[in-house]
Parts: sequence; structure tokens; C-alpha cells
Amino acid sequence: MINYMLLVSRQATARARKVRLAKWYQTTLQKAKVKIVKDVTQLVLARRTRMCNFLKYKNTKVVYRRYASLFFVCGIMQSNNELITLKIIHRYVEVLNWYFGNV
Amino acid sequence: MATNMRGLTQFIADIRGARVRELEEKRINKEMANIRKRFKDGNLDGYQKKKYVAKVIFTYILGYKVDVGHMEAVNLISSSKYSEKQIGYLAVTLLMHENSDFLRLVVNSIRKDLNDNNEIHNCLALHAIANVGSQEMAEALAEDVHRLLISPTSETFVRKKAALTLLRLYRKHPDVIPAQEWALRIVSIMDNPDLGVVLCVTSLILALAQDHLDAFTICYQKAVDRLNRLVVEHEYAATYSYYKVPIPWLQVKLLRLLQYYPPSDDPTLQVMLQEVLQTIMNNCNEPSRNVQHNNAQHAVLFEAINLAIHLDTNSPLVNTAAVLLARFISSKETNVRYLGLDTMAHLAARTDNLSAIKNHQGTIILSLRDKDISVRRRALDLLYSMCDVDNSELIVGELLRYLKVADYGLREEMVLKIAVLTEKYAGTYKWYVDTILELLSAAGDHVGEEVWYRVVQIVTNTEDLQAYAAKVVFEYLKSPSSHESLVKVGGYILGEYGHLIANEAGYSPIEQFQVLHSKSQFCMAPTRAMLLSTYIKWVNVFPEIKPQLVNVFERYRHVLDVDLQQRACEFYAIAQRPDEDELLQNVCEEIPPFPPRESALINRLNKKQIHTNGTLERQPSRMVRKSADTNGQGSTSNGDISQDIASSLAGLDITSSPVAMSPSTELSATLIAKGIPRLTAGANVDRWYEKLLYTAEGVLYEDVQIQVGIKSRYQGPLGQVAVYIGNKMSAPLTSFTTSLHTEEGDALSASFVKIAPSTLAPRTQIQQVVQVECKRVFRAAPVLVVSFLAGSHQTIAVRLPIVVTKFLEGVKLGAADFFERWKLIGGPPREAQSIFPISLDATGHIDQARQKLVVSGYGFQVLEGVDPNPTNVVGAGIVHTAADGKVGCLLRLEPNREAKLSRITIRSTSEDVASEAQKLLQKPLTAEAPSATAEKRTL
Repeated sequence: MINYMLLVSRQATARARKVRLAKWYQTTLQKAKVKIVKDVTQLVLARRTRMCNFLKYKNTKVVYRRYASLFFVCGIMQSNNELITLKIIHRYVEVLNWYFGNV
Repeated sequence: MATNMRGLTQFIADIRGARVRELEEKRINKEMANIRKRFKDGNLDGYQKKKYVAKVIFTYILGYKVDVGHMEAVNLISSSKYSEKQIGYLAVTLLMHENSDFLRLVVNSIRKDLNDNNEIHNCLALHAIANVGSQEMAEALAEDVHRLLISPTSETFVRKKAALTLLRLYRKHPDVIPAQEWALRIVSIMDNPDLGVVLCVTSLILALAQDHLDAFTICYQKAVDRLNRLVVEHEYAATYSYYKVPIPWLQVKLLRLLQYYPPSDDPTLQVMLQEVLQTIMNNCNEPSRNVQHNNAQHAVLFEAINLAIHLDTNSPLVNTAAVLLARFISSKETNVRYLGLDTMAHLAARTDNLSAIKNHQGTIILSLRDKDISVRRRALDLLYSMCDVDNSELIVGELLRYLKVADYGLREEMVLKIAVLTEKYAGTYKWYVDTILELLSAAGDHVGEEVWYRVVQIVTNTEDLQAYAAKVVFEYLKSPSSHESLVKVGGYILGEYGHLIANEAGYSPIEQFQVLHSKSQFCMAPTRAMLLSTYIKWVNVFPEIKPQLVNVFERYRHVLDVDLQQRACEFYAIAQRPDEDELLQNVCEEIPPFPPRESALINRLNKKQIHTNGTLERQPSRMVRKSADTNGQGSTSNGDISQDIASSLAGLDITSSPVAMSPSTELSATLIAKGIPRLTAGANVDRWYEKLLYTAEGVLYEDVQIQVGIKSRYQGPLGQVAVYIGNKMSAPLTSFTTSLHTEEGDALSASFVKIAPSTLAPRTQIQQVVQVECKRVFRAAPVLVVSFLAGSHQTIAVRLPIVVTKFLEGVKLGAADFFERWKLIGGPPREAQSIFPISLDATGHIDQARQKLVVSGYGFQVLEGVDPNPTNVVGAGIVHTAADGKVGCLLRLEPNREAKLSRITIRSTSEDVASEAQKLLQKPLTAEAPSATAEKRTL
């Protein structure tokens, strides 16, 4: 199951990076949320383009994908399939695109 | 809708136009004051309420605290207009936390909307339940949500939402959902023609089945069937093809679901599943240029490979998979390389046959130098999993070489893994010591204490190694900079075994002392304390350097560290005693070998790796540790060491509690017992069954909806039973499912040749063939379970008339032969005998024809002229079993007309057959209550 989904934008400076959207599918303490957001964005943003889209973070998997300057990041459980999560992200982007026009 | 609310648009425009924060706050405060006043005055119509609540929501989203509008939101929900309802629900889900008192007020409105005929209202209500998901709502409304899910009148999109809402409720409050009770009904929706519904329901089942494997067993069959239809028969609507892959999400979920269950032993399902997996793997042989297509296809493929590994690691499918994986790990796509390595590690951890993977060892080692750290990590995991006695030297050597250039984040894990592998697969102790010492000198900072404890333990427990270890460690210490751990090992080993090499050139006591002592100044206090212990040991064995050693003690007597000072004082006092005193010798006795113990290293690694669900650690059967006898822990000269190890061991029990993802095989035993629904009861059901015991065809079950008939044929230990199931109604039976349950799987196998179609058209009949094989003598007849949807979900469970006597074949014997065998078998326990009442026919005579009919119906050859008494019936036969061979069986039936009693005696070479056959035969021959007898006579 998906634990959370974050949309993070990469700005020119590291300070300006911003969480655009966060959806938590599990009750999580605010403190834990902040920590996850901080750690995960740091991990994801540090990666270069040709690297793979998966990470391990603590005991979860993180799947992310970059669309222009926006990173879609999903936290999933060990037992989940990475590629299908990637497809979910892509499908989500397709739906957004279809619904709101060119995003 | 927003266009209608001009006030709202204006409000938003004002706020967006505010130049500074103060202005924005001012505008909001003004608006809130206005709203508060309006609400207080009351008498607002729906439109106004909607508008104000929308403003409140907007303010809330901006991050301001709002304290009004809750009651109005609750009122809006009960409005009949969609736009008002929608804003009401939005406000409820946003403004109220799940324990809010206001929620109590909305439960009833939500229930009303769930029961509404308008699907849109159903959906709004479902959304609200899923978003809030409070305990109270779950308790009050789960039943209604379930009803929406199963109701045949629900629209597909309502069903989808209902399934997901239930899933959400189950995840939050698992005890509120009666999963066992709803299991069959929910599983039957997997047959829904709409794939979207199937996808949602499968998500739900995926969560439910994990906790209730038994109750959901039937979903295994459904999943295989659905996969077959999607993958092999291409039966899906074009809209569900995603980049040319049929609904990959569903495929992945189904494949995952199948991994929760132990492999099925039904040959039909096995064959179908094989075909599905084979097809999925073949599909990937045509590489495509489209990344999206590849991703979707690979998502399914990796899940399929995982399933294949789960089913049987030695199957040809897994070989195919290994070839595919090998291609993947040298793929250009990073994602594919990553997953290829990950899956290969999973395979390596499960399989006994590593040769397929070993072929690609070179490529895997190269992956350690991949650009991407994630890939490097997976390569490391894989190398760890695939290491065994044959390739350990190579892999460990490679890891050691890589360690020196590896990322810092990776080093600690690598060091631990190298240490474990070295210990587990050490061919020679020499190699072990060499490797570990190199490890200590290469990456000392990352080496945990446990690693050098193990070296000390192993050296202490292995006598041949001691001199060698002392030499090697001495050489390492000679290098200008040595890591502290190395100094510790050196201190310990030279102190204990330095005297073994002292006579060789270059290893004299004074040289040993100088090398070791030169490191002392760079070390921490605990290490120095260890060195002091080393020196006192040397005082005992190397009298020639005693002055230097005593000198050291003397100096340390004045240091500030309490431990060091105390040691120095004590050692000084001991050293100063006269030579003939035995105290020193006694104190410095050689350390005895450590008692065997679990390796602290592996524990440590397990603790670290707990999140990988143990995939890295081999199965216990493969964990043959060569050095098990040398594992040890005990008191050493430093008391704190043993404490540390003890505490590292104490953490061990965590390892037993990882989230169990893979289904445990032990369940299969209890599964059978629980998986059978309660047998359908009824006088007729028993009568039909009993009649079929000695006839080959007839009715097995019948009610107003369906009829089940049987035709059977047996040959040796094999049998073929055709089950005819007819739909007597004028409506189709949907989600039609048949399954078989055998209680003694190793004695009797029974399975359908193919899976039944999921729909049974009105007034039609289908034939399902069951293949039966009797392997051993068995007692319980298999249970046939038929379930279908006809208005409600119904299940019929009846025993199939497959009993041991069905495999009985008559034999013709002469009187002499018969009695010779009869005597040969002898009395109990190989004889079963009973006396039971019989009824006479209309003329007051024994119904001999019927008796013979029953006896021969059971498969016995009725032997004429064998028994001197003509009323007696004598029969003989052989039971064929596949595993236990043939079992002879003789029968003698002695009816007594006057007493209206009969005696039945069965002798068989197998006691089980004798008692089973006696019970089976007695039943139809026994006189029953008068009415039943009358009925029987007409048969």
C-alpha cells in the first residue's frame, strides 16, 4: 500500500525547495512527517537523472519520478512492486494532464 | 458552481490581491465576523449556507484557524441539492478531525445517502467515510458499505468506491469488519465482468486475505482464472489496455495475492498458472522502444518471477527467469538493473541451486561499480546471498578490494557482511584470520566490536591457528599506523600466544613488546587496559623482558584513569612477588576454549537487516556454519567484553518478528480443516449420497435452483467422476465456482480437470470432470463445494461418493481358495465384524437379491456355491491403491430370518480396509425406521 505521496519541486537553490503537495495515507505524527519529508526530499533531490527511480528508506521503499522540475515521490511498503508504483505515478500525471490541460 | 457564488469569487480575489499579510488578515477577520453574524442570525437559505461554508473552507485551507461553520456543514449534508451536499461533505472531511463530536450528527445523514437511489449521493457518502474513517463511523456504517459493494443494483463506480472504502476501514479498524463472514461474498465479486471493479475488490481482498488466509482460500482459484483470461486468452476490454499491457495493476495484484498462499496442489490450477507465467515471461522477449510499455510489462514480469520463485525454485520456469534476470542486470536501464539484482538476490536466498546465478558472477561484481549507489547496494546484497563455500574466497576478496573505495554509507554494512561470509564459508582458518585482519586494517572504523571478538574466540578455540595468528597479527602491527581494533586483537593474541613464536627470528619477546607498546600511546584507555593485561601475561612467559614490563606498570600506577591505575597497581604487586610464588602462574593460566554459542555477528546483521524481511539471510536449512563449534562467548580477561556480547545477543529476539510477508507453509494443514464450508444437511442429501456409494451414477444433490448429478468410472487406483451441474432457474447463475476439498491429501487426490466457467446460463447443464487417484487407504470422502450468486451468495457443500470401496475390483474364487485365504488372514484386527438388524421383504423372507445387489454394487464379486448355507452371501475383491499396492478383501454376510438380524464379517490384509468396508456395507443393509425401509424397497 502507498503510505504517502509527495510532490516536491526543485528550485535553483536548495533552500527554495518546496513541498507542493503531500498526501498521507496513514496516520503519522507531525514530527515523523517532517522527518520523512526532510530525509526523503534530500535523498531524492540529490540523485542524478540517469539513476534508478527507487530507493530504500528505513523499512520502506521510495519510488520517485521527475517531471520537469517537479518530483513525484511515493513511499510504499516492502511488499509492493516498484515498477507498478512508477506506473501509478505516471498514470496520475497523465490524469492531471488530461484534466487540467498542459501541466 | 463556483461561478454562481459571486461572494466567494470576490472574497478569493480580494485575498489574492492583498499586498501584505496584514491586509490579508484584515480581510479575513472582516469576512469571518460577517459570517459569524449571519450564522447567528439564522434564517439562511441553502445557497447562503453553501456560500459561507465555502468561504470558511477556503480560509481554513489558507492555514487560518476557523471555529464556525461546523453545524452549517452538517446541515448542508442533508440538503437534497448536489452542490450543497458536496460543500457540506467537503467541510466535514476537512474541518473535523476523526474524533469530533459533530461527526456523530452526520452518521445518520451519511447512512441516508448510502441508501439513496442517487449514485452520486452514494459516492459522496463513501468518500466521506473513507476520508474520515473514524472508529464510530466504521462501526455504524461498515455494514451499509458492504451492502453497496455486493448489491447487484449498484453501479460499477459505486462498487469500486465501496470496495476501496471498506479497504480503508479495514486498514484502520480491522476488528470492525467481519472478514471471515463476508469472505465468500466478497471473493465472488472477482468474477465481475467490469475489470475496474475487479481491481478494487482485489485490492480489498489482498488486505483481507493476508490476515484470513483460510477464509479466502477460494480467491486462489479466482485469481488464477482471471490471470489466465487476461494473459492467455486476452479477454479484456480495450480501455483496460495500458500501453498495450492488459491492466498491469490488476495483474500485479493477482500475482502478489497468489504469493500469500502456499503453492496449490491442484494439478489443473498448477498447469494454468504455469501457462500464465510462461506467457508473461515470453512476452518480454520482444523488447520494445517505448519506455512506458516496458515499465508496465516489467512490473508484471518481476511479480511473475517472484511468484515462480515462490512456487518452486527448481522448476524450468525459474530457469527461464534466471536467464531473463541475467539479461536485466546488464541492461541499459538503471531501474531494470536495480530490480534485476534485487530479484536475483531474492532468488539466491530461496534456491538451493545457485549455479544459474553463478554464471553471471562477473557481471554482478561489475555492478558493484555501478554509477548509482542504489544499484551498488543491491549488488552487494546479491553477492552476499549468492556466496557459498565454492565462491566465497573470490567474492570476499572482491568485496575487500571494493571496500577500500566504497561509499562511506555502504562500508559498515559491507564490513559486517564480509565478516559473516568469511566466518560462514571459511575453507581454512588461515584464510579466515587473514581476511578478518585485512578487514580490520582496511576499514577499522567501520568494524564493530563483534568482529574482533569473533577472531579472538576462534583463535582461542583452534589450537593449530594460534601460532599463525600471532605471526600475522604481529606483521600487521609493524605497519606504521594500525587501527585500534587491530591493536586490541594484537594485544590479546600476542599475550596469549606470543610465546609460541618467541623463538623464531624477528619475533623475540622484546620485539613483540616494542611493536605493541609503540601503539599504546595512540589508543584509548580501554585498549591500554587490555595491553596491561597482555604485559602481565608476558611477565609470566617472558622473564627476560620483565624489567621493561614492570617499568610500564610502575608508570601506570600514577595515571588518573581508575581502571588503568587499579590494574597497574595489581599487576605491579603480582609481578613483584618472589619467583617461586605460584600466584602469577595461576593467574595467567591459558584461557580455556569458549563454549559454543550463536555468532553475535549474524545477530547483529539480522538486526540491521530486519527490514529486508530476511531475504538476505539464507533459509535455516542452508545455514550450515562450519565453525559452529568454535562460536563462543565467555569470561575473558576483560569482563566488559562478555557483557557487550551478551547485550548484543539480548537484542536477538527482535529478529523473530519481521512482518511476515510470505505465507507460512504450516498453514496448509489447518487450511484444509477450516477451508471447507459447513456441509449442506438434509435427509435426502444423506440418502442420495448413500445410494451413490454402491451405484455408479445418480443424483447427488437437488434443490429448487440446481441439480447435481454424478457419473463415475473406476479403473485400478484411478477414477473419473463426471459431475453434472444444472441450473434449474430462468436466470443465470453468476460467479459460479466449484472446488474440491480432500482431508487426507496424501491418501486421496481429487481435482477438476478444468476450472468451471463463472456463469451458468439458465436451464443449462455443465459437466465438470474430477480425476481421482487413490494412493493409500483413506476414510473421508472429498467434499464438493459449489457456490454461486443468485440474488444472494449461496454455497452448497456435499461429500462426493468417493470411498475406498470404489477402488475395489471383484475376484472370482473357488470355495477352497476362498477358505484358505479366509483362514490366512485370520481374526481381529484384520477382521471387522458386526451384527445388525435387517428387514424382511413383503413375503417375510430375506431380500437376497437386494443384498447381492448391494454387495456387488460395492465392487465385490459375489461368490456362488462357496458357503454351505445358501442364504449367506460371500464375496471377494481387491482394493487398488497407487502407493500401497493391492489389498485383498473378503466378505461374508450371514442373515438370520428368525432373529431379523444379520452378521457381516470382513477380512482384509489391511485393517483399515476391513473396518472401513464393514461400516460402508452395513449402512444400506441395516433395517431402518419403517418409513425409510418402505422407501428403500422402491429403489
